[in-house]
Amino acid sequence: MARHDEGVVTVGRSRIGTFFANTTGIVFGLLMLFPVYWVLNTAFKPTNEVQSFTPTFLPENPTLDNFKSALGEELFLPAMVNGLIITAMAVAAALVVGFLAALAIARFAFYGRKAIILVVLAVQLVPFLALLIPLFLMMQRAQLTNSLIGVALVYLVLLLPYTVWTLRGFISGIPRELDEAAMIDGCSRPQVFWRIILPLTGPGLVATSIYGFIQAWNEFIIINTLNSPQKQNLMAWLLYNQTERGTAWGPLMAGAIITSIPVVVFFLLIQRNIATGLTAGAVKG
Amino acid sequence: MYAVDSPASPARAQQTPPAPPAHRTRRRRNRSDNRVPWLLTLPTLLILVALLAYPLYRMVVLSFQNMRLRELITGLTPPWVGFDQYTKALGDGVFWGVVARTAAFTVVSVTISVLAGLSIALLMRRVHSKVRIFMMVAMMFVWALPQLVAAQAFRWLTDSDFGVVNYVLTKLGLDYANHSWFVNPWQGWAVITTLVVWAGIPFLAISLSAGLTQVPKELIEAATVDGASSWQALRNITLPILKPLLTIVTTLSVIWNFGLFTQNWALRDGHPEPVYQTLSTFSYTQAFGQSRYSYGSAIAVITVLLMFGVMVFYIRQMFKIGEVD
Repeated sequence: MARHDEGVVTVGRSRIGTFFANTTGIVFGLLMLFPVYWVLNTAFKPTNEVQSFTPTFLPENPTLDNFKSALGEELFLPAMVNGLIITAMAVAAALVVGFLAALAIARFAFYGRKAIILVVLAVQLVPFLALLIPLFLMMQRAQLTNSLIGVALVYLVLLLPYTVWTLRGFISGIPRELDEAAMIDGCSRPQVFWRIILPLTGPGLVATSIYGFIQAWNEFIIINTLNSPQKQNLMAWLLYNQTERGTAWGPLMAGAIITSIPVVVFFLLIQRNIATGLTAGAVKG
Repeated sequence: MYAVDSPASPARAQQTPPAPPAHRTRRRRNRSDNRVPWLLTLPTLLILVALLAYPLYRMVVLSFQNMRLRELITGLTPPWVGFDQYTKALGDGVFWGVVARTAAFTVVSVTISVLAGLSIALLMRRVHSKVRIFMMVAMMFVWALPQLVAAQAFRWLTDSDFGVVNYVLTKLGLDYANHSWFVNPWQGWAVITTLVVWAGIPFLAISLSAGLTQVPKELIEAATVDGASSWQALRNITLPILKPLLTIVTTLSVIWNFGLFTQNWALRDGHPEPVYQTLSTFSYTQAFGQSRYSYGSAIAVITVLLMFGVMVFYIRQMFKIGEVD
């Protein structure tokens, strides 16, 4: 097989070249992983090993103390619960509202459709931080600062354009013939949506909500600006934790791991969708 | 009908509705067809108007006023000051420094990221399948990591006392014991750029390597048989085919990196020194650190205007490619 490769498919590719390529690939992978490995390594070290001028590349006395101390922090559990509540509210709302709009764009030819697509695309590019000042003032006036609902509302807008756009893609993937066949069989339009499109968009709904979860879970600037330390999410807790006790690296890294686990797991589940979602059109073209 | 058997099976249980749509005249159907999609889009549009368009409008209005802490607390309408905030910004050397820094960072980081991403994508075609899987897995983990966590990891790696980077460099014979990476802004920005490039490579390399699978192998082979060097094949075949995708990922990288906030914010403990300010952090600190809400808004407006060209280009590209039908 290798002979075949060298001789026919890839003219001018020497065995040395392939060896060099493989080595570069492995070194690249290791370099990419190094920061991740170092976070894990640090999290399992006792304090005296963390604060050592000759760091070891594996913990000599592995311990879970850092995790215990992170979990035992006063604001850790509230932050986790807050984050889950906010994320659930934002994702659920974005999914319901976004699905309807996606349905309209994917299944109807109507006046203004193109304008709506343009808005949905353009809105994703607005640097959201730029809007933070007026949003803060609006929430202040509506007395929604320091509340979970205020943050969830902002996250909803953050997630909505992406949700509409991705669900549109999933719905477009369902052949129209299915709709037509069902209508011939006597389904009304709402029934078609309810019994055919919705169930077939299932995987798309899951993927979109996972992506929404990741976005909302990872956000910390908005919540940090709108809410007091008691009403933060885990990511913002991580930032607070940093400024208040900058040198407690062990617990910080343990906290970082706990915070990342749901995101990493979810991300790996839907990575295919994320990669294609961002560039779908281009790859196809 | 038979094609829909499994997904529509619950629907089949339903008896024929009493008034089939065929009853309606063509005209009425058209009108209702136009109303239904708008009704479906209405909630989305309302939310976007209330929480995006309106704040955008408020931001512009604010930038022509002078809103300070007093107005925030008392709720009084801030005084109208016309273009004062803008003339203040445009006449301020500090502001121009921030603009230049943000632009320079964007150019450098995007160039490095895209070149690195492309090289990795090309490399992935040449390596053994096991090596390719390893590279994919490594990149996936990096991609999955939340930005703030990645920034914290880099802060720890470059810690002056116990950081492993200083340790390794010292071991290599350089004098980096207790070296502080953020005293010299060039070094500090090198750390920030490394972090951004490292975190950006997975998206670029994985997207581009997906794009590379669209390049027909026969074409490359034919060119090689005709005597093209691998560089020529890359330049004249692979890159032209890859161009639309390359444009999209580059544009996205420009948009993301121009808005740099998390990385310099976290690496500087939430208080970036003047040399570590970018447009986003500058606008934020002016507003929320110094209670200059109007000045911060003016800077945000300028930021959006600066990005506008790139955004329009991106959207046009999306339409051109035909993803948007």
